[in-house]
Amino acid sequence: MTQPASPARPVTEKSPPADAPKSPWRSLVTRVDVRTLSLLGVLAALVVIGGVTEPDAFLDTDNLQLVLTQASVIGVVTVGMTFVIISGGIDLSVGAIVALASVWATTVATQEYGFAGILFTAVVVGLGCGLVNGLLIAYGRMVPFIATLAMLASGRGLALEITDGKTQMVTVDSVLKLGERDSYVLGIPPLVMVFAAVTVVGWLLLNRTTFGRRSVAVGGNAEAARLAGIDVRRQRLYLYLLSGLCCGIAAFLLIVLAGSGQNTNGNLYELDAIAAAIIGGTLLSGGRGTITGSVLGVLIFITIQNIFALNNLETAVQQIAKGAIIVAAVLVQRRTATT
Amino acid sequence: MAPEPPLLTMSGITKSFPGVRALDGVDLHVQAGEVHCLLGQNGAGKSTLIKVLAGAHQPDDGTIVWRGDEVTLRSPIAAMRLGVATIYQELDLVEGLSVAENVYLGHEPTAAGFVVRGRDARASTAALLRRLGHSEIDPARLVGDLSAAQQQIVSMARALSHEVRLIVMDEPSAALDPDEVDNLFRIVGDLTADGVAVVYISHRLEEIRRIGDRVTVLKDGRAVAVGLPAKETPTREVIALMTGRNVEYVFPERAPRDQDGSPLPDPVLVVQGLARDGEFAPLDLELRPGEIVGLAGLVGSGRSEILETIYGARRPTGGQVRVDGRVLRPGSVRAAVRAGLGLAPEERKAQGLLMLESVTRNVSVSSMSRFSYGGWLDRTKEREAARTATRELSLRPDNPSVPVRTLSGGNQQKAVLARWLLRGCRVLLLDEPTRGVDVGARAELYTVIRRLADEGLAVLLVSSEVPEVLGLADRVLVLREGRVVHTAPAHDLDEHRVLDLVLASSTPGPTLTKGPHGPATTEGSPAS
Amino acid sequence: MPDFASRRGLLFGAAAVSAGAVLTGCTSNESKDDDSPSDNNQAVADDKPGKKVTIGFAGPQADHGWLNAINDNAKSRAKKYKDVTLEATEGSNDTAAQIGQVETLINKKVDVLVILPADGKALTQVGLKAMKAGIPVVNLDRIFASAQAYRCWIGGDNYGMGLNAGHYIGEKLKGKKNAKVVELAGLDNLELTKQRTKGFDDALKNYSNIEKVARQAAEFTVESGQSKMSQLLQAQKNFDALWNHDDDQGVGALRAIKQAGRDDFLMVGGAGALSAFQEIKQDRGVLKATVLYPPTMAASAIDLARALGQGKGVSGMAEFEIPASLTLYSAVVDKDNVDQYMSTGFK
Repeated sequence: MTQPASPARPVTEKSPPADAPKSPWRSLVTRVDVRTLSLLGVLAALVVIGGVTEPDAFLDTDNLQLVLTQASVIGVVTVGMTFVIISGGIDLSVGAIVALASVWATTVATQEYGFAGILFTAVVVGLGCGLVNGLLIAYGRMVPFIATLAMLASGRGLALEITDGKTQMVTVDSVLKLGERDSYVLGIPPLVMVFAAVTVVGWLLLNRTTFGRRSVAVGGNAEAARLAGIDVRRQRLYLYLLSGLCCGIAAFLLIVLAGSGQNTNGNLYELDAIAAAIIGGTLLSGGRGTITGSVLGVLIFITIQNIFALNNLETAVQQIAKGAIIVAAVLVQRRTATT
Repeated sequence: MAPEPPLLTMSGITKSFPGVRALDGVDLHVQAGEVHCLLGQNGAGKSTLIKVLAGAHQPDDGTIVWRGDEVTLRSPIAAMRLGVATIYQELDLVEGLSVAENVYLGHEPTAAGFVVRGRDARASTAALLRRLGHSEIDPARLVGDLSAAQQQIVSMARALSHEVRLIVMDEPSAALDPDEVDNLFRIVGDLTADGVAVVYISHRLEEIRRIGDRVTVLKDGRAVAVGLPAKETPTREVIALMTGRNVEYVFPERAPRDQDGSPLPDPVLVVQGLARDGEFAPLDLELRPGEIVGLAGLVGSGRSEILETIYGARRPTGGQVRVDGRVLRPGSVRAAVRAGLGLAPEERKAQGLLMLESVTRNVSVSSMSRFSYGGWLDRTKEREAARTATRELSLRPDNPSVPVRTLSGGNQQKAVLARWLLRGCRVLLLDEPTRGVDVGARAELYTVIRRLADEGLAVLLVSSEVPEVLGLADRVLVLREGRVVHTAPAHDLDEHRVLDLVLASSTPGPTLTKGPHGPATTEGSPAS
Repeated sequence: MPDFASRRGLLFGAAAVSAGAVLTGCTSNESKDDDSPSDNNQAVADDKPGKKVTIGFAGPQADHGWLNAINDNAKSRAKKYKDVTLEATEGSNDTAAQIGQVETLINKKVDVLVILPADGKALTQVGLKAMKAGIPVVNLDRIFASAQAYRCWIGGDNYGMGLNAGHYIGEKLKGKKNAKVVELAGLDNLELTKQRTKGFDDALKNYSNIEKVARQAAEFTVESGQSKMSQLLQAQKNFDALWNHDDDQGVGALRAIKQAGRDDFLMVGGAGALSAFQEIKQDRGVLKATVLYPPTMAASAIDLARALGQGKGVSGMAEFEIPASLTLYSAVVDKDNVDQYMSTGFK
């Protein structure tokens, strides 16, 4: 047997790193992966379709503002959901949490505390629901599917209990104003700014922090993560808290957008958020996923909705198209995974 | 037997999975009516070989000749049609269906093509069960309600419900009581009397002596002995074939510490009376910086359990672990890691690595706080640190941003070692560090491990390979059935002596382990 | 609409019982109008305590303002009568659960049943069962598949809603050339949405100058109303009138209109929510009118049930028996008559 080729001591002289960036362009191309590019391609195709079918209504600033505003509520929810799915979990309760947080934050009693009261209540209710989910899953060892399904049922029930089925109108002017044209800064609606901020923070959290690393590790191989010294349970708790926080923020955005709180808010958000994350390339089994992909997934869905509405097509057709896109995305995902 | 063409001839079977070559030109010849035993350590390639035979894996190379004709087994159904039935170790029964429904799953007796004739299925299932000596099992019962032994019988009935010429049994006795084992052997006898061939896989050598006709021994994906007479070959020779070298490993020199008379450093790891009921008896152990201590023993002797309990991955039922005099919180991996312990687990893919991630991220995962400020990662620093650690271990390729799944087995192991090197750990627990590692890469790993010890690490090494333990360790603890039966400096022992100590179990002793041997026995499975 | 007032009078005659007009509710200040005694010799139900009647009430889950108002109307109406005991079930949207609840009421041998089914077709059998057991059934709004399953049906007129909304818009846009109309419908997989749209379209056929240029379906929720309306506004840069099927989703629609800064059209709502009434009364926004789908029908149903239980007829009608079927009129409420309806508005 030959002696190992390795020198006994660590290499001290600087040898050029094997993967040194060759040119800025090249590194950009390798950084943006194939899946993100294909999602951008789909979005570009949709923009072309929209521009051809309804050039006046589709291609103007108002419509861009509209699409982004419509995307912001579900978008914020999807960012939280992406983290949960990456960690190998699922959160079916996001829609119910949004509903509960939005009605709790718009009760007469809460509205007495004004803007801050509404915002604070929405966020705290979201965090509280996330905490319950997290404790049940991480320390109660419940399956995420079941724990969050229970939260879905009881959250919706509680929201109905609070409202009695009534629509709770917002009377706080500063909250209402935030959703109106006067509040746009440089043409950007405040809701869209919040969405953008959540996206950026989510991206940084996933890609630049130990929290993100641990989330991916727990989803990729929980046993290996545990044996590497990661506190898997605490990490799971944090992840559901994060999802709850996103739901609380989304609930506040929805209050601003709709000028009211209603127990039917956030209807089927869980499915929309999961679908957007999956289209964006997040593995349902965990261990892989991107915030960019998920946000593109949301934008694709909302753009389709927009194009269909502008063309005055029926809801039914729209739902069929949505289903087809999910199937296509998963098929593409499988193909890229095997090559 | 000689003039009759063999029932099955597999020759030159080769099968690779990403990072590991599971089978490397294996031959297997099986005659009609014989019990052909397949022996080998975990990871030797037995499971892969029988999966190729069952049509579950497609070989990369090699030929399969069945009753004189070359065949390609594209799917499990193709293998079944030829008459090959496989009873896997992890039983593949549907718990929510009845016994009869399980037996005829996929080939239900039907009327008019689609109506399942449940009564026919139950009647013929009852007949099969009678033939297997278990007429007490009701064909209408749910399989989930049966005991493990009864489920095994159902699995066997399912195999026999086909026209079968060859049955593969993967550790069929692992879950059985002694008298159930007797029944199993009677069934095997009946089958072979009818001319059916049985390929029998077991770790228990005494079983092979009782029912086996011939033995094929696998090691590291190669057949090291083909068709040995099962009853005449001495046990020691079989064991030596399973564990012994087929290549002369080069072990690094030990530091001449023992001679220079300087006082020994204080032990860094002290284990006192550590025990887990049913797995291993109270254990005392001291480990000093610079020392490699080996645990030698057969699969199921409690080696891995000891390592994982010291590491906190299993909660002990008694005793304590101290590092630098401080008692570790029992059952807490985090406490162990903080105190300076590191584990390279037995199942590298399932327990050690994040297979979807890059080498860098696999290496840095246990030391992230070192490259982060308030949770914010300094990725340049992380990459540089990971690169330094992997270079120090000569990990190939010299590019830590590649996904860890693309590495060979030896380099994957180096990635795990680099993780603990980077963490700056004081005690390294190595469980089968060279499992699934190419022969060529092993010597390199040995050098690395020895060098780490020379730099002051304490190493606790578990290996099925006696020469590896003897060649690498300073001190050796010989384990048998969860108990340390001998402790000695490595240079006072030789392979035969260790094998004798390990194999003293041929005289029946108290069995601590019940059920399947060892925590996990998946071998050479693809990384999927 | 010229004949509006007279039709309303007819409605009072049909559905109102003694004191308290149905549409104006218990606090109506109009009740004195109807105080004139009936000239029929048949005993008619009145406010005076009579024979004790136990009424079983099974409604759906109140997850929508209108449904909540239905439950409230039934309960407060029953409380008004000393001789009425109301056995109300927990509201449920689950057909099977509601069947079970009605069967429990049958077993309890209530005198009369008032049922607003989660699904009319699916609850027909249990209605038949009650009738066979000798318990008269007052079928509220969502009609059973068989007329044998109820003694009396009382409900709203979805087709009429669309019709009246269409006529109101038609009259308002009279004389305007190439007028454009937009429709924001409710849940598209409900039969009632189809009926409302059909009525609307039929009415618009009378006005050759009007064209319906767009229709999108929301989901009876504020959120969906905001979302669909904002898209409609983006798609249709100018139009003259909008009909929105439901005042609840209208909250969202109005929000979207405000956010888009549009005020160049008139809007007509549907159902009769308090917030819509207030908006109409203030007359500062686009919402000029709403078409009723009155939840007070539940109060009337209690009155009918009480009359059935006491074996009496209703005042204002010549017949001895109460009618087999009462279709309520979908009145248009605008600035001129909104005060009258204010108290019936639901939240």
